[in-house]
Amino acid sequence: MLLGLLGIAPLQGTTFYLTVAGLGGEPDYETRFHMLADETDKLLKSGGAERVVVTLEGAAATRAAVTGALDKFAHDAKGPDSLVVMMIGHGTFDGVDYKFNLPGPDLSAGELAAALNRVPASRQLVVNMTSASGGSITALRKEGRVVVSATRNGTEKNATVFARFWVEALRDPAADTDKNETVSALEAFRYAQLKTTKFYEDQKRLATEHSVMEDTGKGSGEKAPSAENGVGLRAAAFPLVRFGTAKTAATDPQKKALLERRDQIQAQIDTLKFQKSSMAPEAYKQGLTAALLELAKVQEAIEK
Amino acid sequence: MTFLKTLLLAGVVGLLGAQQPAPRRAGTPTPTVTGDAQQMLDKANNFWKQGLYKDANDQFRALVAAHPENPDFRVRWGELYLERFQSDIAADLFNEALDIKKDHARAMLGLARIAADEYDHKAAEMAEKATEADPKLYEARELMARIALEDNNPKKAQEQADMALAIFPDAVQAMAIKGTVELLDAEKLADKADSPWFGKILEKNPHNGEGYATAAHFFVLNRRYEEGIAFYRKAIAVQPELWKAHSELGINLMRLGQDQEARKELELAWNNQYQNKPTKNTLTLMDSYNNFEFYKSGNAILKLNIKETSARHYKESDVLRPYFEAELKRAIDTYEKKYQFKLDRPVQVEVYPDHEDFAVRTMGMPGLGALGVTFGYIVAMDSPSGRPPGSFHWDSTMWHELSHVFVLSMTKHRVPRWYTEGLAVHEETAASQAPDWGDRLDPHVIQAIKDKKLLPVADLDRGFIHPTYPQQVVVSYYQAGKICDFIAQKWGEPKLLELVKAFTGNTPTPEVIQKNLGLSAEAFDKEFMTYLDGETKKTVEGFDKWRTGMREVDKLQKEGKKDEAITKLLEVRDLYPDFVEHGSAYEMLAGLYLDKGDKASAMAQLEAYSKTGGRDPETVKKLATLQDEAGKKKEAMATLTRLLWINPVDQDLLTRLGGLEMANHDTTNAIREYKAVLAMHPLDQAGSHFNLAQAYQAAGQEDQARDEVVASLEAAPGFRPAQKMLLELSKTNK
Repeated sequence: MLLGLLGIAPLQGTTFYLTVAGLGGEPDYETRFHMLADETDKLLKSGGAERVVVTLEGAAATRAAVTGALDKFAHDAKGPDSLVVMMIGHGTFDGVDYKFNLPGPDLSAGELAAALNRVPASRQLVVNMTSASGGSITALRKEGRVVVSATRNGTEKNATVFARFWVEALRDPAADTDKNETVSALEAFRYAQLKTTKFYEDQKRLATEHSVMEDTGKGSGEKAPSAENGVGLRAAAFPLVRFGTAKTAATDPQKKALLERRDQIQAQIDTLKFQKSSMAPEAYKQGLTAALLELAKVQEAIEK
Repeated sequence: MTFLKTLLLAGVVGLLGAQQPAPRRAGTPTPTVTGDAQQMLDKANNFWKQGLYKDANDQFRALVAAHPENPDFRVRWGELYLERFQSDIAADLFNEALDIKKDHARAMLGLARIAADEYDHKAAEMAEKATEADPKLYEARELMARIALEDNNPKKAQEQADMALAIFPDAVQAMAIKGTVELLDAEKLADKADSPWFGKILEKNPHNGEGYATAAHFFVLNRRYEEGIAFYRKAIAVQPELWKAHSELGINLMRLGQDQEARKELELAWNNQYQNKPTKNTLTLMDSYNNFEFYKSGNAILKLNIKETSARHYKESDVLRPYFEAELKRAIDTYEKKYQFKLDRPVQVEVYPDHEDFAVRTMGMPGLGALGVTFGYIVAMDSPSGRPPGSFHWDSTMWHELSHVFVLSMTKHRVPRWYTEGLAVHEETAASQAPDWGDRLDPHVIQAIKDKKLLPVADLDRGFIHPTYPQQVVVSYYQAGKICDFIAQKWGEPKLLELVKAFTGNTPTPEVIQKNLGLSAEAFDKEFMTYLDGETKKTVEGFDKWRTGMREVDKLQKEGKKDEAITKLLEVRDLYPDFVEHGSAYEMLAGLYLDKGDKASAMAQLEAYSKTGGRDPETVKKLATLQDEAGKKKEAMATLTRLLWINPVDQDLLTRLGGLEMANHDTTNAIREYKAVLAMHPLDQAGSHFNLAQAYQAAGQEDQARDEVVASLEAAPGFRPAQKMLLELSKTNK
């Protein structure tokens, strides 16, 4: 599978994060949404510089506040910047329009899309974790924008648990499956999706939510992004959070050759893996081991 | 073609279609009718006799519509539905008849039959009322005889059978019950292979297999499956079209693992329109056998599921096998030594991730466990993945069932239900040497003790077969287990084995107790209740105060009064220390202490919770975390190891435990845990393969380590720790 192999795009510009926890309706939900928003806020703010983090919850999370925050981003952001919007709470869908339940007037998917379109950040990620969120995909999808939805359509109306596991992905190193010390949007999606499925399985309950992703600008949401269906390519290259000491590309000219060699070997490994099914197992294993060994040596040399 | 495909193609016939002939019950009085009603009734009965059930049904419908005031027609119609597996509709018709004539004996009998089929304790009382309404209704006496024998009361069974025969000398079921009583009491079946009573039945009708089928039913009820099978074979030998006998033969062959012949018999019954739920469900279950694989290990065979599903993306066999095999060996070795008995063939343990499949195994068998069941040398049980995590202790259940394998074999299945269950409950903690296993004193048992609802030991079987209140089966398990604990405590553990041997000769419980314990059954009951009182008095007397106290705690917490809540909880916890279910005082105290930052106190509460048998995985993991943080690594490891025997299908548990085992240089178990993680196709492939690589490397297995680290890097080529290991291994490989 090639999706995870494109590598994360170098971190450029500023990432603007907006997290919104909508109306809970009942004390249990209010508490839950508040906790998730708080945790997200803490995780994002501990991520270091080059980011702007805004969290709206409770009475402050009105439609005007949400569009106001996005308008501020629109003023401050530039082309190379990234935008991440995460929505926690309840949503509704009447067959035509999706609405995010907020104190006062609700925010429609169309209104949200219009606000996002005004933000010049070239890379955008919207994570709609509410019930009926699948109903917002059509309005939100756009070239250059990744849309993650906790439900596959607007008719999955039950409260979701996806948000809990999405937030968990932001702090669990296990979500970083390619071990590059960065959790991409695709990795977080897969992590949260798997955990959500397991939640219902463990509880012996019928799953009432099925998360999907759309990043082609024209789809209706794909449950299993892959190179075959072409979904997830953008999400795989969208860094969400970084762990450990993520290294920036070296600028030492003496290392330039090593870096180029590293990229070549990684490309060779990608090709080898792509050809796996048509190779004899022993030949594949030998070729892979040799390439990995060389890659390890090159990396060791880079770090000296 | 599998059964399911046949089902889909042919359609489910249900009640009515071309069916087998339905013989009119011998001696059934003909309702007094005349004219066209008689003609219609005769027609309905003839259709029924010919097996044309749809036509019979239509005829009865017309008859009842034409003569709504006649209750007899509704009763007869209800008897058709009862015979054709539709007891709900039958019950409605019987009740309608009673609305017309409130003392209609046959309607009462019909309802009593339905109750008896469900092992409802009210059945005997209902049959008795039918005899009061019609003293000549011998079938009611036959039913009461059957119920008495199900309650292991042969004397009463004989009395009722004699009363039936006094009314009608050719009463088949009465003769069958008398014959069955003789057979059940026979030392060796060969000596009394066929009681004269069955000969009498065949004299009247050489093609009547119902008598043998009745005997078979009772053998099966007494877990004497081989003998039950033999008698079902006799039944179909004399009456090949007795389809219910074919179905039951199939079900019991399936229970003993004779699947090919089982399927043949079940399909024969099904194709001849004997399409009741047990037949259908058993055939459906057998269709699913393709999803299982058998693994032989020592003197045991493990049957595990290999099917990957949308919910379970892995083969459960790959995860469970090492844990089940290890415990199976330990249990068999322990029991062989303890019971001084060697199994003469492998025991087969079947593990079902789908609870509905497991439930098919126990259907029609009253008073059996909801988690595991034993048929001779075959144990069927739920998989840990088949239930919400923490709700089920698979290992304790398996040790329980394996005790049955031994005890049933040793006593040739003569041991009374209460004793084998009591011993199995006792062994969950005794034989396994794990005091935190088994079940605790639960609120239902406390209430039963308060209400003085425990049964005398001589009657304890009844609590399993014909419970008189909803929780009596659970209470009976508890009581039987405590009886065995009491015997072990007063007379020593070897006495339990002595009693097993004493029960081999079909000796009644009071006799065994008198001979081996030197007490009458009544005196034993008295001493046992004194013992039980000593064990439970504080909790039983404090139960209401505990409940009130927990409600007060809830209120204090809602008011934010945490310190007061802690004080109250400490007081309340000790009123009912055995309560480790969800929302226990231990968990609440731990939460409150953590809120105050007092990790040591929180840890102490959770240690008590775990020691008492608390099973919630998240709570037990929390304990392990606290222990780990406090530097108590070995304790943390032991704590997480407990969870393996409750539910090992947990990537987080296995990864954490593997890490602790590595720190403790236990590479063998670390390898086991990490392999189980990989068997579950974890999301973090790179990390999981790397963990296993490290374990192999630490164990000196460098080839395997290299394979695993390559697999790790295949998932994440830039994974530095794995790259470093690969370089290291490549140096040692030169």
